[in-house]
Amino acid sequence: MSASPILLADSVTKRFGNNQVLTRVSLPVMERDVVCIVGPSGSGKTTLLRCFALLEAPSEGRIVMQGVPIATAAPDRQVKSAARAVRSDIGMVFQHFNLWPHMSVLENLIEAPMLVKKMPKDEAVAIAESLLKKVDLSDKRDAYPTRLSGGQQQRVAIARALAMSPKVLLFDEATSALDPELRREVLLVMRQLAQEGMTMLVVTHEMGFARHVGTRTVFMDRGEIVEEAPGAAFFDAPKTERAQRFLQQFEDE
Amino acid sequence: MFKYQFRWDTVWGSFDFLMGGLEMTLIISAITLVLAMIGGLIIALLDMSRFRVLRWIGVSIGEIVRNTPILVQLLWVYYVLPIVFGIRIEALVALIIGLALYQAAFISEVYRSGIQGVPKGHREAAQVLGLTPIQSFRRIVLPQAIRMTLPPLASNFVQLIKFSSLGAVISVSEITRRGMELSATNFRPLETFTFIAVVYFFICWPLAMGIRFWERRLQAR
Ligand SMILES: Nc1ncnc2c1ncn2[C@@H]1O[C@H](COP(=O)(O)OP(=O)(O)OP(=O)(O)O)[C@@H](O)[C@H]1O
Ligand SMILES: [Mg+2]
Repeated sequence: MSASPILLADSVTKRFGNNQVLTRVSLPVMERDVVCIVGPSGSGKTTLLRCFALLEAPSEGRIVMQGVPIATAAPDRQVKSAARAVRSDIGMVFQHFNLWPHMSVLENLIEAPMLVKKMPKDEAVAIAESLLKKVDLSDKRDAYPTRLSGGQQQRVAIARALAMSPKVLLFDEATSALDPELRREVLLVMRQLAQEGMTMLVVTHEMGFARHVGTRTVFMDRGEIVEEAPGAAFFDAPKTERAQRFLQQFEDE
Repeated sequence: MFKYQFRWDTVWGSFDFLMGGLEMTLIISAITLVLAMIGGLIIALLDMSRFRVLRWIGVSIGEIVRNTPILVQLLWVYYVLPIVFGIRIEALVALIIGLALYQAAFISEVYRSGIQGVPKGHREAAQVLGLTPIQSFRRIVLPQAIRMTLPPLASNFVQLIKFSSLGAVISVSEITRRGMELSATNFRPLETFTFIAVVYFFICWPLAMGIRFWERRLQAR
């Protein structure tokens, strides 16, 4: 183990009121890792991802990016400015896409680069167009999000996240809101990204993706990481009883 | 049978006089709407303020205005404000202030639900991409909120056209007042007030229908 993690959850505990949702979760993410997080509903997967995305602050513990703390329970000035600096290095793809409906596909893609990175418009447009080509939606450049299928919307959302050239991309059940026949097109894009070496943290119910594309699988239950194993190993030989029980429900699939 | 000799000519004879009143009605409604939109924004900002005192002021104005009759408010502005501040307020100004205050309290709610109607996820997407809260409000929340508030604002205009008839009570010379004056001289209240009701209806009804159509189209998007 020579390399240090690009992104790290360091003993993160999260409480909502009296409800403790995460209990001392530690999870390092290495560069080019594709970490898949699986687990039953309510186990805290989304909450963990939102902590990484800086949408929730940990109640205890820290989020660390390339050695620098970017979120703590009581962030001081230094942590806050570190968070601002790396904000757009951590991209996120949401279950419900969250595209901005009053903007066209292209406008969705160029908004953040122009506002946050102060990129000139023609450069932002050029990048957006190449990303749309990559997710196979060049012809939807000027369409409005509500005119697109769920699968198309999610691919636009991925392109929008990529437009900021993030170092890490977080996916929260990116395919669960989609009809089964639309999932494939999104999973293909995600797979392609993984092959290109994107560092990814993927909360998913797609066991096939976790097994074949993931480099590591993390199994969460009741706010804790119960088991962790390289890609397929988790599925072939789950060690804990809770993981075995969890995997049983997917056996008929 | 209801035997009545209709004398519509008494109304036609004063057509210009009444239409002048209608013009007044529409001008009052338009000015009041603009003022109420600004006032509504101020109340909404007070309501959402970080400071407790400001929130308290905003909430109080809203609650008082929404829970007292508009006619009483008008009378209050016209008769009480001058006593308190020792100034004379013209009836027209009092009417506009009173109506604007009343509508502002409702419009502030329209703004608020417009802003809260923008899904949280849209803001979170902006936040993750690095937009500041102000950028996110200006570029993501506000444009969507405005789109949602336009039809309710138009509905407010229709309401104002009707409410401005209350100006008659403090002798503002809008169409209803002129109708009262006319019927006092021609002794023909039936023709006069029927005509006026018809005028109101054929202005407000198409507007209301148009707004309903507009709202449905916005929802379909
Ligand atoms: N903002 C919040 N306020 C209060 N409780 C919350 C909040 N967000 C999540 N929770 C609670 O935290 C727990 C874990 O939720 P979380 O969404 O992280 O689970 P999950 O593993 O993503 O589940 P799922 O597979 O259903 O998406 C749940 O009990 C949920 O009710
Ligand atoms: Mg979840």
